[in-house]
Amino acid sequence: MHADQDIKTQDHHEELTFKKYFSNIWVAVRSLIKGLKITSKYIYSEPVVSIEYPEVREVLPENSRSRLFNDAENCISCLQCATSCPVDCIYISANRRDKEAPKIKTKDGTPIRLDLTQYTIDTALCCYCGLCTTVCPTQCLTHTTDYEYATYTLGQMKIDYLDPEIRRWRDRIVK
Amino acid sequence: MDNQIIINEDIESPTDPEFERLKTELLTINMGPQHPATHGVLRVEIQTDSEIVVKATPHLGYLHRCFEKHAESVDYRGVIPFVDRMDYLAAMNMELGYSIAVEKMLGTEVPIRAEYIRIICSELQRIASHLMYFGTYAIDLGAFTPFLYAFQEREFILRIFEEISGARLLYNYFWIGGVWNDMTSDQLKRISGFVDRMEGELDKYHNLVGLNKIFIERTANVGVIDEETAYSYGATGPVLRGSGIDWDLRKKRPYSIYDKFDFDVIVGEGTQGKLGDCWDRYYVRMMEMKESIKIIRQALEGIEEGPVMGKVPKIIKLPKGEIYLRTECPRGELGYHIISDGGKTPYRLKVKSSCFTHVSMLPDLAPGQMIADFVATIGSIDIVLGEVDR
Amino acid sequence: MHDQWASLINSKVNGANATVNSAEVGDSSISVEASKIKEVCQALKDNSFNVLQVITGTDYVDENPHIEVSYILADFINNHEVILKANLPRENPELDSVVELWKSANFLERECFDMLGVVFKDHPDHRRILCPQDWEGFPLRKDYVAAKEYNGMEVYPEDKLNLEDQGFGVKTSANSISNKSPMNNGRYS
Repeated sequence: MHADQDIKTQDHHEELTFKKYFSNIWVAVRSLIKGLKITSKYIYSEPVVSIEYPEVREVLPENSRSRLFNDAENCISCLQCATSCPVDCIYISANRRDKEAPKIKTKDGTPIRLDLTQYTIDTALCCYCGLCTTVCPTQCLTHTTDYEYATYTLGQMKIDYLDPEIRRWRDRIVK
Repeated sequence: MDNQIIINEDIESPTDPEFERLKTELLTINMGPQHPATHGVLRVEIQTDSEIVVKATPHLGYLHRCFEKHAESVDYRGVIPFVDRMDYLAAMNMELGYSIAVEKMLGTEVPIRAEYIRIICSELQRIASHLMYFGTYAIDLGAFTPFLYAFQEREFILRIFEEISGARLLYNYFWIGGVWNDMTSDQLKRISGFVDRMEGELDKYHNLVGLNKIFIERTANVGVIDEETAYSYGATGPVLRGSGIDWDLRKKRPYSIYDKFDFDVIVGEGTQGKLGDCWDRYYVRMMEMKESIKIIRQALEGIEEGPVMGKVPKIIKLPKGEIYLRTECPRGELGYHIISDGGKTPYRLKVKSSCFTHVSMLPDLAPGQMIADFVATIGSIDIVLGEVDR
Repeated sequence: MHDQWASLINSKVNGANATVNSAEVGDSSISVEASKIKEVCQALKDNSFNVLQVITGTDYVDENPHIEVSYILADFINNHEVILKANLPRENPELDSVVELWKSANFLERECFDMLGVVFKDHPDHRRILCPQDWEGFPLRKDYVAAKEYNGMEVYPEDKLNLEDQGFGVKTSANSISNKSPMNNGRYS
């Protein structure tokens, strides 16, 4: 601070007259009563809005964007989700299917030409923007309404969707 | 050495020689980065002479992610989730500006229903954002209850947004060329019911807080920003209007379909103190919510059936060139300066953030204020640090 | 409108050399001589451009390497805006500060210095604003490489980056496809 700069207090109080003193008190009391009226209305007429979480679990709306789930049986490994992901958290690798192998199709009839060998999503990096689910041509990658998936380590947030554990988990959450 | 805290002792005391004897050392206090009144992680280094702030230096960058650099490596659709994360309390408005800018460059027509949905959502978001301001500002000044009232109403808006877009805060709902999902008639009906209720609630809030004697004493004549300062610092939005300047981009340069709606621009009048004080900014925001309700009502009446997504190429490539587009966000004007070299990703994306320019006002507003008044000033310019640091 | 302003600049400031870059899509801009930027701003400010909205820069590394600093001025009375451009060399870019004209330039110029390394002469408080004071390099330059270490902390620790999974669309052999490869899209570089 420079020595020549004179700091003045921003004093904004007007001179207090006798009349003003009482009118101030009157205004203060009046606004206090007004406020108390509103507050007491809230006490008796408004419903309770908070939810006691672990006992009462909120159900999220249908198209809520929570935990991602990939139904690996219907995935055709087109890599579109990985391309559109703005944070690069989807990792896919696949092998070409043998010509002799029996032909398989997804639920909506798209032939599967690639065998998925890895489908991993790092949900710790995921920003839940929903861009990957909208480009999915077979609708196998979806957002579920499951929001309780805290883990103990960062590594556990990286979810491998070919894991049989995950497939069992599907029955619980997929709509 | 610049960021080292230096206590300078040669501050001149008031001229009275008696004060020379009582001269005290300046005390340097760090307000923030974890301070409830800084609305995020803003650190303000203040030098105080007893209770009077002598100098305030904001230190920014605690939320700096350099999103502008990141945007250079993701495609135009992928930028939208990052844009959301700037002003996380008004994400819809952030998206609106970006998508309009890209659409203008692309020459995309947005279906009329999508335009109406955009207006409804961004005005609802404006209400939600101002409610957040109202609640936290009351907390800054020591009143806790209004915060709960405001959040109860804000919760409804977030719930509606969650139903239509899937997320509560970071929506990624306005896409280039339209909006992601359609709104159902049931949702529109509920919004209509909400705005009817909200109008009464706003009067209640204003009676409870705005006209309260303690609130007026705390805010009137505090943090006065006059017209010249406002222009010089490039203030926009409620801060500029609070200083008595009639400037609203929605009226002056209508984007989207704002020219179809009839609403007023609220300008501070200096009813409780000097023009441009904290109370005026509070007043502008409260009354702006009513104007938003007006706009939503008209939009709900005028909304038409139809598609919600226009024709957009699968891979978006903007033609070579640049665009600077400003929109009116709850906290002020937001400008997107997109420079394209014809590729799939923006060559340069610069965001003009209103909060950033508003923060630069603090060193000018602080000297001579009490510390508690300084808190009131920070609260009244309503910054979101996600947008300041980007 | 742009022609009008360009001729106004040329008539008021000697050697400003204002030329209009008219664009078919998007916004047109006016290029001016970098050394005269302050006089040009003064001339425009007198002509009712009362608000400085943005000072930003773009780094061009291709054929003609330069840094282009854009000043976006707005006129809140007649409702106009104009983009002023000044080209600077990539080594030691320097400009005159316009803090005297608009106070908002203070933070905006600091940001421009922080992100692109453009030095503003006569700036009252010329230091970094968003990055820490001892940060190395200028992030928004196209050839910026983040330091591996900062104050003894590792930047982008490998165990949190899924490095082995980064990259995209690489054929690992004739029969298989994957988006796994050493990172090549430069997002974290």
